[in-house]
Amino acid sequence: MTLLRGLALYGGYGGRAVVRGVDLEVTSGRCVALLGPNGAGKTTLVRLLAGVLPAERGTVELLGRPLAAWRRREVAREVALVPQQVHFAFPLTVREVIEQGRAPHLGPWRPPGPEDHAAVAEAIARLDLAGLADAPVQRLSGGERQRVVLARALATRARVLLLDEPAAALDLRHQLDLVAIVARLRGDGVGVAVVVHDWNLALELADELIVLQAGRVVAAGRPEETIRPELFTAVFGVEVEILRGRNGRPVVVPRMADSTAG
Amino acid sequence: MRRRADTALAVLLLAALAASLLLAVPGASAGEALAALAGQGRPEVVTIVVGIRLPRLALALAVGAALALAGAALQALLANPLADPFLLGISGGGAAAATAAYALLPIAALGLVPAAAMAGAACATTVVWWMARGPLGPSPTRMLLAGVAVNAATSALILTLLAVAPSPRLAGALAITMGSFASASPAAVLWLLPYLLVPAAVLLHYGRDLGLLALGEESAAALGVELAAVRRTVFLAAAALCGGAVAFAGVIGFIGLVTPHLVRLVWGMEPRRLFLRSALAGAALTALGDLLARRALAPVELPVGVVTAVLGVPFFVALLRRAP
Repeated sequence: MTLLRGLALYGGYGGRAVVRGVDLEVTSGRCVALLGPNGAGKTTLVRLLAGVLPAERGTVELLGRPLAAWRRREVAREVALVPQQVHFAFPLTVREVIEQGRAPHLGPWRPPGPEDHAAVAEAIARLDLAGLADAPVQRLSGGERQRVVLARALATRARVLLLDEPAAALDLRHQLDLVAIVARLRGDGVGVAVVVHDWNLALELADELIVLQAGRVVAAGRPEETIRPELFTAVFGVEVEILRGRNGRPVVVPRMADSTAG
Repeated sequence: MRRRADTALAVLLLAALAASLLLAVPGASAGEALAALAGQGRPEVVTIVVGIRLPRLALALAVGAALALAGAALQALLANPLADPFLLGISGGGAAAATAAYALLPIAALGLVPAAAMAGAACATTVVWWMARGPLGPSPTRMLLAGVAVNAATSALILTLLAVAPSPRLAGALAITMGSFASASPAAVLWLLPYLLVPAAVLLHYGRDLGLLALGEESAAALGVELAAVRRTVFLAAAALCGGAVAFAGVIGFIGLVTPHLVRLVWGMEPRRLFLRSALAGAALTALGDLLARRALAPVELPVGVVTAVLGVPFFVALLRRAP
């Protein structure tokens, strides 16, 4: 079932289109990875899908209805976003940040109830943050902050999860935790779109890849069909070797400049 | 811990009330002054305590509450711990407009001074926000620099107005730049109340949204905050608070910066708790500041803005050193 759909999306900042005509679907129980060089428009695309940046052309439909027809708070109940960076200007505790994930369900006045407390407690446990729950978030490392923001998104219990480089600062163990979390959410019917730079992580997380270059889709589809060495030469200007890992899953190994020279 | 802090806040507020009303009434003991509050005792003491001290105290409390609330709201809205109505030039904008109203309007229209101050504060807020905005929301550094620019422009405007203002009006116009509660009257307090209470209600309504905005605009929008509507309403509320404060007491700095920080240290980040406590603490601090201004170099009376600056500037420097 299609949860979130972008149709011929154009969007950017100050009249400069960064995303130029992208179609994309986020489907229940599936995960699509967005890949591409720096500045290809991945973050902008995620912002358009979340509705935090209005599209200049094209539409985003949530559950078959254009985003413009939804109230912002209703969208936030269905679509949770993990932005690349959150600006922690104030000394909130980890728990206070994660509790913000329930705000779309509460509105301006309703106090949090048992379901809200349960969602927050579960998110704290899933992201391995119990020991840090009362620490001021400003004192945490980059990876710890990233886990806090991810926990906040999980606490919303939205049907769509949009992740913008959620693993950029995570250590290996917490990257594997992320893979497990996404797998479990997919089992619960959540649709996921994730911006990621590590191809091998993308292959662990996703069952569909979308490769962007200069705001357009240059390759899309199932991983085995999409990953070809020519793609890497054309899009990134690098040579890669594609090996087969366990279960026949592709593994991308870049060739270093000095080894290709020889 | 929080309950004990609430008690301490109540004690501070009561101490400010008692000290402002009862201490150092010329020719009367504290007991006589207390009796005068109930209308008993010598008429001259009653006149001083009820006719002069009480409205002055009420005005100081209301202005302090308004400035602290405006500071707390702006800090959350702009996700900037250094936001303050004075530093961002918002009070300056209000003061310039109020001075212009004093200098140029006919006497009969002087009731418009608070509205003018509010409009000036709103303009200054808009200009500062417009200058500071970037693709990912306002930048804290650019915002402070924008405040410097707006303050420079408004003080140039005020000096020009003072130079050309008809001389009988000069005193009123000058009081606005100095910051003082000396002209307090029961009427002034009543006029100020709507400028305090309506924005306070608005801020409480948007408390949860402002809590989300403290982590930046993108993050808040993703959690369901209608950015444009909240920004517009909260800016207007902050402008009304600052405009009201400036119109009746002139420019008083740093209450809006210092109070929310002190309150956050004790009561944490929850916005509604923060707003209510900030209003009460701002009221108490301003009343105590006014007491210091009256007593420090008695019989000479200092502008209250001098006292708040002496206490606020070191605090600001410390915050600036700690900012990322």
